[in-house]
Order: sequence, then structure tokens, then C-alpha cells
Amino acid sequence: MTTLVLDNGAYTAKIGYSHEKVSVIPNCQFRSKTSRLKTFTANQLDEIKDPSGLFYILPFQKGYLVNWDVQRKVWDHLFGKEMFKVDFADTSIVITEPYFNFTSIQESMNEILFEEYQFQAALRINAGSLSAHRYFYENSSELCCIVVDSGFSFTHIIPYCRGKKMKDGICRLNVGGKLLTNHLKEIISYRQLHVMDESHVINQVKEDVCYVSQEFYKDMEIAQLKGEENTVMRDYVLPDFSSIKKGYCKPHEEMNFTGKYKPGEQILRLANERFAVPEMLFHPSDIGIQEMGIPEAVINSIHNMPEEMQPHFFKNIVLTGGNTLFPGFRDRVYKDIRSFAPTDFEVSVVSPPNPICYAWEGGKLLSEHPDFEEMVVTREDYEENGHFICEEKFDI
Amino acid sequence: MCHSPESGRFTVSFRVHFHLYPPPPVRSQDPGQRRVLDRATRQRRLSRQLEALEKDNFQDDPHASLPQLAKRLPQFDDNNESGKKRKKTRGDHFKLRFRKNFQALLEEENLSVSEGPNYLTACAEPSKLPQRHFCTVCGFPSSYTCVSCGVRYCCVRCLGTHQETRCLKWTL
Repeated sequence: MTTLVLDNGAYTAKIGYSHEKVSVIPNCQFRSKTSRLKTFTANQLDEIKDPSGLFYILPFQKGYLVNWDVQRKVWDHLFGKEMFKVDFADTSIVITEPYFNFTSIQESMNEILFEEYQFQAALRINAGSLSAHRYFYENSSELCCIVVDSGFSFTHIIPYCRGKKMKDGICRLNVGGKLLTNHLKEIISYRQLHVMDESHVINQVKEDVCYVSQEFYKDMEIAQLKGEENTVMRDYVLPDFSSIKKGYCKPHEEMNFTGKYKPGEQILRLANERFAVPEMLFHPSDIGIQEMGIPEAVINSIHNMPEEMQPHFFKNIVLTGGNTLFPGFRDRVYKDIRSFAPTDFEVSVVSPPNPICYAWEGGKLLSEHPDFEEMVVTREDYEENGHFICEEKFDI
Repeated sequence: MCHSPESGRFTVSFRVHFHLYPPPPVRSQDPGQRRVLDRATRQRRLSRQLEALEKDNFQDDPHASLPQLAKRLPQFDDNNESGKKRKKTRGDHFKLRFRKNFQALLEEENLSVSEGPNYLTACAEPSKLPQRHFCTVCGFPSSYTCVSCGVRYCCVRCLGTHQETRCLKWTL
């Protein structure tokens, strides 16, 4: 019996059999202005010749699965002949859900997995629990860890003790990759070029050019300088999908300061946007969202935990999720937490080499765990007992 | 009336002043004419802006303007060939249940009466650190607020740009 591990995220789905490698595939449908009749699903994104003004249809809203039509179409494509060719009667599935998932969504998920797709067995679990499992697998001497999962829709801070999540300490920041990209689109549209329709392109800009600054005000001062002294400023060449397929950032040496650009290239000049946008993860109040940033939320979360566990949490902070890939993220989180934490506690912040697939790897390890068979709910169980047994067994 | 040397000098330098600097913004400085938004309106504007940041798309659906096809195009990926029968989920009931939006689902959960940690209690609290302010035009730290609409600016040039492009340009 094979196990399919699916980390069902709001932006990408990380999917793969437990004995194979993971694939990261967009979890949505696309529509393009140029190909009028067709709706592209998931990785058919590569087939689109002109991804300008791409229209996204996401099944998730604010991080929770609301649009089952679109989700089922994406899953049909992923489970079907072109991708994973799932043999439902012989497969069990490990699938992730967001924290405090609504009961109606959980019940719909049960119905769809067991009645429509007819998987043999299923395990619904939080993505952070898989990350924690993976972390404890490598550091088996540690008792507690705190997982920072910063994804597309929001960021969660979750403390784990002996493999169980501590519900009282869960903290949610409503700042995620989507907010960062939309904010970047807004400021570029106001200051330079109208890009409000180009989520796909600006997302790429954000990933290529943005970084987390270690000294915010100093970088602000440098960004205000003119000419060569402004080491923060970069030029980004936008793709035009005919000659330039993918945008790229010009290295500092090639930048043209006299103000004349090569014809045929559309350039974005980014200075303080480079570090002001990721700064929103650390200070959401910069933009008006009255919430604490990631380091403060971690400290807050740990303070709500029993005192004897607090030093253990400080020693095991794990950063997962796509937003942690910004250069300088880990160092900045360490610096901020170190300055808030009491001096006699040891602080250690771990950033795994692949934060996007960390939860998936945890799922893979979990499926090979000896207790796995007892954790899942089989189709027979579900048909006898209904939603009740899922509610009991799964800790969402 | 005042022919003192001082006033004479003052007039001369004032004229020179005009040549060196660009003319000030045309917006009337008369407090009686200028529209000032109150706090509630400013708060509503801010909430509107934050909600706009949650949107998936800022353009319209490219398929929305197409006429509805009478019969759907053939799909060419036959699900029936797999040999297994999929249990058909009941038509309308399915559509009703599985198409609610986020707000409706949240209200359904009725979290205000439940005990223990839940979606609403997990939300982060406001920060204890002071809020930093940035110029809406250029993004650098700002010290000044526009009198009419309350947004931040850092220098007179940014104020000029703001008043020409965005200040009170749309109603709320």
C-alpha cells in the first residue's frame, strides 16, 4: 500500500509518494488574456506562452479552503493520468490543513476524500505538526520546539511539546506572501509603472530582489544617497515574453546611473522597496495592520507557556514556509529574539535548507513511522462511524 | 506706506525667492475651503486599503465577457475509462455546501460562544512597539501628516505629488 503525501498549501501544493521525490505545483487555476477559452490547471502554467496579466483562481481564501470546485479540478489533474496516476483503492493519503480549521471544511474534506476519491485511508494533520515531527526526528534529544510557519496567506507560531501542539500558544499573524506581493504591486504602480495585474511577474521580482535588512534605519539612509554610493538600489529588467522570457536583476556593476537605458528593456528601479516590503513581516504596523511582528509574536507565545518549558522553546525555533527564504531572514529573527529574550536563556533559530518542502519531508517520515497505521482513519472506519471518528482521531 | 530701508530690502529678496524655487502647490490654504476628513473616515479608508491587499486579482476575469456556451466543449480526458465508478456526489446539495465564502464559514462556526483557543483568539495582539510612519509617496521615514486626508509625507516635494495625485481623489 503506497502513501501519497500532500501538503495542501494556499499557493503551492507539495505532493509526492512517500517513496519518491516531492513536486511543488501551483494549487490554483489560471486564465490568460491571450488563450481565451482555456483554463489552465496547476502546472499547466508552463504551457502558457504569454503570462502577462495572468488571472488567478485560488481555492483558498484567507488561508482556508472555501472553493471546492477549483480544488477538486486541481486534485483531479494531480491524481490523474498525467501526473501521479493514483490508484485510490491501494493508496493512503497524508494531507495538511490549516490551524483551527472550520468543522464544515473538515467534514467536506472527509466526504471528498472517502466518498468521491475513495482513498483507502487518510490522515489529516497540520503542516506544522509535520515540520515538528521532522525536527524531532533529527534532534531526538529535544523535548520542545516552536515552529514558525510563514506562508502565502498568513504566518503561524506554534509551540510543540513532546510531539503535541500547545493550542494556547498558537499565534496567527495575518501577514503572508500574498500581502507582500500586493503591497509591492501597489507601491510600484504608484511610483513607477502600472503593474497591478501582474501578480506572477511581481512575485518573481519580490523573490529575486527583496531581502531582510539587519539595520533598518541605516539601510534607509543608504537608499537615499544618489549615484554610485547607493549600494541598495538595483535595476530589475522586466520580461516581455518575446525576447526576455524571465525577468532578472542587473548586477550592481552593470547599472547605468546616467539615466539612459537600453531600448527594448523595461526597467524597474528599486531602492527602499527591497527591504521595506519584507519588513512588514517584522512590523505589520508599518502598513497599518495592528499586529505584532514575528519576533514579538514568538516571545509572546513562549511567555504563555509554562515556565519550566520556556528555555527549551528558545533553544528550538524552526523557520518554515516560503517567506523564510528572504536573504537575511534567519539572522534578523535571531537578532530580534535575542534582544527580547532573557540573557540566561540560550536562543537558537534554525532555518532548514528547504523550508517549503520541510513539512512534506515530515509527512514522508511520518508515513514510515511504525505507529502510522494507528493514526490513519480507513475507509471502512469512516463508513461505519462517519465524521465522528475523524474528529476523534485527528487533532486539527 | 512703509518706505523704510528694511521693507525695501524685504521686497527685493522676495522677488528673487520666486525665481529660485518652484511655485508652491496650488491647493487653497484657506482653512474654510479645504476639506478635512475626520478620524472615522480616515479609519474607514485605511480598512478599505487593507482589504484591497487581500484580493487575488485586480483585473477582471478574461472569461467573464465570453458568451455562455450552450453546451460545454468536449473535455477529451475521459474519467469513465478508468473502470472504477465514482460515487456521484448529489448535485445541488453539493453546490450549496461547497461554495460558501470565508465570511459565511466563519460565522457558521459561531466561535464567540465556544470555549478554549480558536481561530479568533489565535490572532496576534497589537504590537507594544511604537508605530513607524513612512511617506506614502517615496517610502522613506516621514515626520509630517497631510492635513486633509491624514497620510504621511516626508518633504514638500512629496506633499506636492500627493496633493496632485491622490489627496481626496476618491470618495469614502
